[in-house]
Amino acid sequence: MKLSLGSLYRPSRFPLLLKSYPISRSRRSFCVSSLSSPETSLKPQIPLFLRPPIYSTTLSDLRKWHDWAESLASSVGSTFEKSDNGPDSSLLCRELKWLLEDAVEDHTLVSQMGVENDRRVRMRAHVDELYNLWKQRIQERRPFQYVVGCEHWRDLVLSVQEGVLIPRPETERIVDFVSDVVSKDQELKRGVWADLGTGSGALGIGISRILGSEGRVIATDLSRVAIAVASYNVHRYGLKDIIEIREGSWFEPLKGLEGKLAGLVSNPPYIPSKDISGLQAEVGRHEPRVALDGGVDGMDALLHLCDGAALMLKPGGFFAFETNGEQHCRALVDYMENNKSGSFCNFEIIPDFAGIERFVTGFHGKAI
Amino acid sequence: MGILSQPLCSSASIFGANNLNCRQPLQIPHGLNSFIFKHLPSLSFSFCTSLSYTSVLFATPENQLDLGVDSDTREWALQDFYSLRRDVEITSQRVEETRESAGLKLLEQEIANLELKAADSSLWDNPAKAQEILSTLTDVKDKIKILTEFKTQVEDAETIVKLTEEMDSIDIGLLEEAASLIKELNKALDRFELTQLLSGPYDKEGAVISITAGAGGTDAQDWADMLLRMYIRWGEKQKYKTRVVEKSSGEEAGIKSATIEVEGRYAYGYLSGEKGTHRIVRQSPFNAKGLRQTSFSGVEIMPLLPEESVDVEIPEEDLEISFSRAGGKGGQNVNKVETAVRITHIPTSVTVRCTEERSQLANKIKALNRLKAKLLVIAEEQRASEIRQIRGDAVKAEWGQQIRNYVFHPYKLVKDVRTGYETSDITSVMDGELDPFIKSYLKHKYNMTLSTFE
Repeated sequence: MKLSLGSLYRPSRFPLLLKSYPISRSRRSFCVSSLSSPETSLKPQIPLFLRPPIYSTTLSDLRKWHDWAESLASSVGSTFEKSDNGPDSSLLCRELKWLLEDAVEDHTLVSQMGVENDRRVRMRAHVDELYNLWKQRIQERRPFQYVVGCEHWRDLVLSVQEGVLIPRPETERIVDFVSDVVSKDQELKRGVWADLGTGSGALGIGISRILGSEGRVIATDLSRVAIAVASYNVHRYGLKDIIEIREGSWFEPLKGLEGKLAGLVSNPPYIPSKDISGLQAEVGRHEPRVALDGGVDGMDALLHLCDGAALMLKPGGFFAFETNGEQHCRALVDYMENNKSGSFCNFEIIPDFAGIERFVTGFHGKAI
Repeated sequence: MGILSQPLCSSASIFGANNLNCRQPLQIPHGLNSFIFKHLPSLSFSFCTSLSYTSVLFATPENQLDLGVDSDTREWALQDFYSLRRDVEITSQRVEETRESAGLKLLEQEIANLELKAADSSLWDNPAKAQEILSTLTDVKDKIKILTEFKTQVEDAETIVKLTEEMDSIDIGLLEEAASLIKELNKALDRFELTQLLSGPYDKEGAVISITAGAGGTDAQDWADMLLRMYIRWGEKQKYKTRVVEKSSGEEAGIKSATIEVEGRYAYGYLSGEKGTHRIVRQSPFNAKGLRQTSFSGVEIMPLLPEESVDVEIPEEDLEISFSRAGGKGGQNVNKVETAVRITHIPTSVTVRCTEERSQLANKIKALNRLKAKLLVIAEEQRASEIRQIRGDAVKAEWGQQIRNYVFHPYKLVKDVRTGYETSDITSVMDGELDPFIKSYLKHKYNMTLSTFE
């Protein structure tokens, strides 16, 4: 994919901005240092449902595991929910059903459990591994999506693994916003879009599929794991001609595109640092802090994105950011109106499906 | 129409009483058009051999071949022959009536029309339409084929009766063949009549059953679980593919709700009459005092329509879409596989919920599809030509109507309040033996439609 690199690059701009966020910067520089050995490219894990069914077990052994796993899930009751708003038994049982779906090659056989006990089923993981996985799920609170290696998001099934944020259902909405915008403006549809801090590649891939073959998307991330996983997902959906994954912090990989982006989306880390320790165990203990921690008030990355958006978006370009809620949304709009006066217009604060004001969208330059 | 005035399984009862000892395996001809060809020569032949056998057999009674034939001959007394003859006459009349009420002439005309359309060069300009035409053509052809088979089968039986009369002697093998032919034919007629009752636009489709525990606490949740099992067993008996796509367990026992998808022809047609409130009366195992308790569970049935076939546009402003999300700050703060979607059609208050898919969008698409299927069915029930014409107030009354009582205590009785059909064999019913209820409801419904037309 060819992108014009003609426009002016101001190298001083970004380091200056980054300097004001020492916490996140120091954390990131740790990651960056690990990048310095470029010879080994990280190999992403294959999600369970895509692994070859090379194992086999009897239905009665599978049932034994299932009964054990179910009783383990039931023993949880609402204790997780009470301690940190974690999942209760019924949600865990739903996960168990999905784990079974992913692990068994022909899951129509699952309904035969207890009927045809001697029948063998082909499996994508050894039964012993299933015991381990479910123990990790319940005892270590390892997120279900890491256990099965994937997350169903919109109409996609995205590979995820430790080191990459699990895309949330709320974020699905951002793709809808983009879909609305490009349906009204064909020029935006043909432009270059950017998804910053792409993680598993969810937003970038979702938007690529909206733009279609005319579109161009650049998805960036600082984390090498994220780069590997996002590239794998892009490859799996056959979008290599539309979306390009670039490694680097925020706008760094977009040098030369100043004033050229048709659109910019991001779900940056936005949780205030002090809240991290109180998070649901699945999130706080297992998901990458770099993808969650937004600094003292959670606004570090968001403000940085606003500054960059003013620089990178072309006139009429669209942006959409996800935030931690109402306060963030207001603060962000205030910041853009006061500090970037005139560069943005048509702000909108949009709630998520739980009614929490979650997203800020708007346009660059000329009023529409 | 004559269909319903005929008793079902008329021949079965007559021959059941005769208790035939069929020692030789009976041949039930399949390709009936060729039956006469293949069997008539052997017919006269077997007659002769049988006669000669008889004479030989009497001479050598120790011959092992005689045992069956001899006793059967005695059993096939003349009165049995008369009863068979009467049966053939009745069946013949039934076949005539069936063919007439099925509108054989119209069907032939329809085939001609459809074939004309199918031959049109522009047929595949609209693939969906083309598919529809071709599948209707196959359906109509199948129907005519069945009706033709009815006629050849009953004629075969008549030929045997006539031959027997002319020969003035009895060939057991042949008569048994005729008897079994008539028996099978009556079964086929029963089946045909039943599918005739299923002529609704979605009757042929698969079905979605959703069960929700109603008033009655844990007892009701246990009752919902019992109903779930009942429908799964019914589906297995019908050789349908059943899949529990969603199940939410109760706190102590049973289920709060469950959704089953049933794949197979006519599943919706058979099940559609199951929608409504099912009431249980029993000494509840969840009632500490062991008192008699009444609980309710709701059953909803929708056709399982292929996504592309649901051709309904619902304006976005008519939909209220809510997503369940368990508390907290949401977004990155939470990771729960809570993706349930609930859609309410505001003008009619019809609501569907979908939780089984793993992403919110997938649940939304599926829920919307179910909502459309439900609205289509309601529109059809109300004879409304458009979704807009549905009377919302009527929906609630109709879909929540109590349809059946299951009394476990103080006596055992399952009774359908609409048709009055009842049985005391509650164990079989809970084991999925629902066919008598389904059949009587379908007939009841059919009679109702007839009476509203009058």
